[in-house]
Amino acid sequence: MKLVAAPLASIIAALLLAALPLLTTSNYIIGIGISALIFTVAAAALNLIYGFTGLLSFAQLGFWGIGGYTTALTVVTFGGNFWWGLVWAALINAAIALVVGYPTLRTNRHAFVIVTLTFALLATLIARDWVELTRGPLGIPNLPPPQAFGHRFATTGQFYWIAWAFSVAMLGLLYALCSSRIGRTLIAIKQNEPLVRAQGIAPMPYKLAAFAISAAITGAAGGVYCFHLGIIDPLFLDFYYMQTFLIIVIIGGAGSFWGVIVSGIALSALPEVLRFSADLRMIIYGLILVVAMFVMPSGVAGWLREKKLAEMRDQLRGALR
Amino acid sequence: MTIDAVYLVQLTLNGIALGLLYALIAVGLSLIFGVMEIINFAHGELLMLGAFAMAFALPVTGLLYWPALAAAIIAVMLVGLAMYEVLLAKLRPDEFERSILITLGLSIILIHLMQYLFTATPRLVDTQYGFDGVDIGSIRITWTRVIGAGAALLAFAGLYLVLRRTQFGRAMRAIAQNREAALMVGIRPRVVARNAVVLAAGLCGLAGAAIAPIQLVTPYMGQFLIFKAFALVIIGGLGNIPGAIVAAIGLGLVESWIGGFFEIAWQEAAVFVIMIAVLFVRPDGLFKRGGMRVG
Repeated sequence: MKLVAAPLASIIAALLLAALPLLTTSNYIIGIGISALIFTVAAAALNLIYGFTGLLSFAQLGFWGIGGYTTALTVVTFGGNFWWGLVWAALINAAIALVVGYPTLRTNRHAFVIVTLTFALLATLIARDWVELTRGPLGIPNLPPPQAFGHRFATTGQFYWIAWAFSVAMLGLLYALCSSRIGRTLIAIKQNEPLVRAQGIAPMPYKLAAFAISAAITGAAGGVYCFHLGIIDPLFLDFYYMQTFLIIVIIGGAGSFWGVIVSGIALSALPEVLRFSADLRMIIYGLILVVAMFVMPSGVAGWLREKKLAEMRDQLRGALR
Repeated sequence: MTIDAVYLVQLTLNGIALGLLYALIAVGLSLIFGVMEIINFAHGELLMLGAFAMAFALPVTGLLYWPALAAAIIAVMLVGLAMYEVLLAKLRPDEFERSILITLGLSIILIHLMQYLFTATPRLVDTQYGFDGVDIGSIRITWTRVIGAGAALLAFAGLYLVLRRTQFGRAMRAIAQNREAALMVGIRPRVVARNAVVLAAGLCGLAGAAIAPIQLVTPYMGQFLIFKAFALVIIGGLGNIPGAIVAAIGLGLVESWIGGFFEIAWQEAAVFVIMIAVLFVRPDGLFKRGGMRVG
């Protein structure tokens, strides 16, 4: 029963989400929908590397930005189309992840966190300072709407379908990966790396692959998102995005695939509910992060799991008595 | 290309001043990592608070440099104490990721709180020294820079003496070397960790206060410096204090030289390229663990 229910529920949810542009004509609401889908994909990619593999990567922000810039530049400067831009974004990010990941993963997880953070901030500085390529602080405005089969996805409602198809495909891919033997190996690496080695599995290729896949998906997500915005500038690498991804993963529950998906959809609406000034909103984000780390460090999914375990323990005790 | 000797000396002096500043931040990070095995993400914001404290204290003291500097350092130490008691004291030593996320949250709160209260407009900070300086040949260095560099050197000397010669510092090194053994001889990790955080905050406050008259004070000033400090801590070896100092001064020089001759993008990228190269060759950092270190 449960085996059928979960995929069925997710398919129904996906179809319901696909119908959003038919239900409303408000570009504002559809815009939030696009952000929700793309942010959820990026958060799920972060979940792959942080939640499953146990490596906290701040490089996601850099991949997001590099992906955005790669897609935009492919279209504007190098005369390619949007779709090839996404492919390039994914490939370039995967290559960067391998180059940065290989020396870093040889050390320890502390060094990994710091190197990825430095990488993200470096990407911001390069976006601002490498003016010949990125056009500096002015950014690249007026990104043309993507086209496919002679159809232009010009309105927000039409673009929503791209975002929807992209996120369904990417989340499907991530789900397949996380629920496979590879996903289980990643969890094992997180929980007990020496034991994984003792089983004859080399952790390095798994970690590198998780990092590269996570980078590729985040990059493509950034590519889609910057075409939604229609402009890319160094603000695309604002730390705000990284915080959003992190909060989604932490509140949802690192290591829980569905927890992160649900919290991604739910929390993307949060910035819209919190329509204070930008600064107050960030202060609230920071408070949420700090409080969440103290109150429920394993997120809602982890909290539910613990509750369930406690119940089972109580039942066992009752049965023994 | 002919290289102008005066220009080169100027770049070198600037590089050393910049490196000393980096070192003040990196040393604090190393100290906290050594004692608590956590990374303080809000470290750059402590520097920013130091700079703001300097900016607010100077008008009160009638632009007198030294009292304002002392006030800024004490203010940041108090912030460090509060940060430890409220947040960091609740962490266990193995909770590395959690420490990062909590201090990240704190850093976001501090940046945006300061921006909310005092706006993002950069402030120019004036001291009793104004733009006066010393002239060496045709090179001119402002007093604020000379004093900043001198204060940093004094702070390192003081830190060395504290760690080497006092019970207070020995306890920190003991905890860093072997937590269990330190516990057994009656050292309390909680007190030592608090001391380390307050000490590191003081160094950061000094760095912030010293930098305030040299560059513009904004709520974001800490962020750009901290990521370099993180990289330096990796290059020097996590928890290795002399390593961090040497790496910091080296980076200051390299950046200043690159900035003098190449595009600014290369100057920013230098630290990252160096870090990746170091990790390739020596995954544990340039300097072997050992010697005097807090970690």
